[in-house]
Amino acid sequence: MIAIFLLFLSFSFKTFAKFDADISGNLEGQGRHSWNNEDAKKDLMQDWDDEDFYLIYGNLDGKVEINGSRLEANVFARHSKSDLYENDYIAPQIFTFPNKLVARDVFKLQHKKEVQDSRTELILNKLYYEWDYEEHRFMVGRIYINYGLGEIFNPINPFNQPTGLTAISQVAQGNDGFNFTFFVSDKYTVDFFLLGDKSVNGYEGQIDRTLWVHGEYQFSDKLQFDYVIGEDQKRDKLGAQVRYSFTEAMVFMQTLFQTDYVNNEESHPLWDMMIGYDQQIMNKWHIRAEGGYQKLNRYANLNTLSERFLPTEYFIAIANQYEIHPLVKITGTFVNDVKSGFTYFIARNTFDLGHGTEAEIFGYIPVAKGDKFSYPAQKLVTTDIGMALRTFF
Amino acid sequence: MFKQFFRKDIVFCLALGANANNATEWSKFIDREMRGDRSHAEIMMTIETPNWSRTLEIESDVEGKKQALSTINSPAKEKGIRTLRIENNMWNYFPKLKRKVAVSSSMLLASWMGSDFTNEDILKASSMAEDYEHKFVPNQKIEGTEYRVIENTAKSEAKVMWPKIVTYASPVDCLPRQYRYYDKQEKLKRVLYLDDVKTFDGHKLPTKWVMQPEDNAKKKTTIIYKNMKFNSSFKPNHFSQKNLTDY
Repeated sequence: MIAIFLLFLSFSFKTFAKFDADISGNLEGQGRHSWNNEDAKKDLMQDWDDEDFYLIYGNLDGKVEINGSRLEANVFARHSKSDLYENDYIAPQIFTFPNKLVARDVFKLQHKKEVQDSRTELILNKLYYEWDYEEHRFMVGRIYINYGLGEIFNPINPFNQPTGLTAISQVAQGNDGFNFTFFVSDKYTVDFFLLGDKSVNGYEGQIDRTLWVHGEYQFSDKLQFDYVIGEDQKRDKLGAQVRYSFTEAMVFMQTLFQTDYVNNEESHPLWDMMIGYDQQIMNKWHIRAEGGYQKLNRYANLNTLSERFLPTEYFIAIANQYEIHPLVKITGTFVNDVKSGFTYFIARNTFDLGHGTEAEIFGYIPVAKGDKFSYPAQKLVTTDIGMALRTFF
Repeated sequence: MFKQFFRKDIVFCLALGANANNATEWSKFIDREMRGDRSHAEIMMTIETPNWSRTLEIESDVEGKKQALSTINSPAKEKGIRTLRIENNMWNYFPKLKRKVAVSSSMLLASWMGSDFTNEDILKASSMAEDYEHKFVPNQKIEGTEYRVIENTAKSEAKVMWPKIVTYASPVDCLPRQYRYYDKQEKLKRVLYLDDVKTFDGHKLPTKWVMQPEDNAKKKTTIIYKNMKFNSSFKPNHFSQKNLTDY
């Protein structure tokens, strides 16, 4: 219906000054077989051995552009099916990360249906109006906020969780509010955000406010500095990113400090840091390394898994991507929790089948267990082998 | 033989004129004709293997050697992906996720979308005239056609991928018909064949480019320049972060 409406608009307004409409999207089906972690059975009441998990998800993205303004929307739909849902086991939350498709949510523009062995979600995770005026850009509605160089851990951006380690691609989290971007000069850009968030479950009439500034300054040809400052999720936050480019590679660092809850709820300060390295070794081989620290939030709920894909405190991740053929890419990523010894390996092999379609074989394997004092959530990580088929239109 | 050849140059390569016997001037002439000061190109790229082919449509805007902006118009998976280069800084923009990513300048070496061209080729990050030293080597006859041959050696301070490139230029229009790319070990790595010369805005250039890697004879990438504008000027902030993310 939306498609027909946009096509009609496209046809009707072609004669006006500058009008453009576009519809695009993707659809993906996945199946995996999963083996449980022995420690999860004993310690975390995840008493299952091995199970199948099926997932189908897709985006339908529409855009209408008239002169300097634009309206964009994206509908994300996801249906997953597994016997693991019957006893509310936690593993499906990892398989469907990110579970929260709207990071800062004021409007309940989503539909969720839970039956015994399946979950269905239909979410409008992007719907905004954008207006460009000279060196300024205004956006209002449900917007994507995407900045920061971290692909595995990106602490300076709490509005969009990195999906570098997940089996889901082509997804971004929406955020409800207002964004004003000021392109001060070729080298300096500042983003101001005013966002709201109310908990979908247990909402008590209070909307949490986010006031956030992100600045990006290019000091020189080689050096760029980003800063973030603001109040978000009842904490004051301050952070920065520095990027230095060599001829052969790029190095970057991020840090984010978060105060206690400003409303005196029980909490403690948090801080994260990461350092990253990125290099194109040769024309078909790309390497990325990220290492960092995330202070363990003692008050976080083990069962939420909403903030990060992998439960690690200290980590080193190395991702290699090699193109063995224009049709075939192979990616291998090792993630190690330095403190606990927990090590996780992710392998992906992607085949381009032509006509906008590709297939992927993937494996998620915890190759070394963490010690007994490790992050308990590490015990939830399963061994999985699966296949995906995706198409773009 | 050489005198006869030299006369041909003067007669046919009018723009090159008296400099036809100077390899550097010849390279400058090629750069002026094929790059201009600025250009907007509509390109069709086909990546081919014996059992498979893939076609991409791209728009590419280039201003001098310092600024370039490319946009993929098809296929659906990559539609809208843009790359901006300002001097040695590069950013990719993925409009569906509204994600702008700074990329290492080492990515200039990377294969562009699985093709035999690199980011450096597409974003025209180097200039044969400015980044290389040039000298004529003896003419060569290939399949009955005689070419003037220029050996281009990278200047020590130049940030380029290929230490040596050999140009095979037509004595008729002075434009290249082949570029041969050599690595540090002087090993031939790939050959770019150029053909089908057309004129756009007074600039003559080959519109069919076929890149053939030496280590895989069964694979090649063909670029067809569907349209090229040399006289269009870009708006002042065309090569900017704002314009990169305005898609």
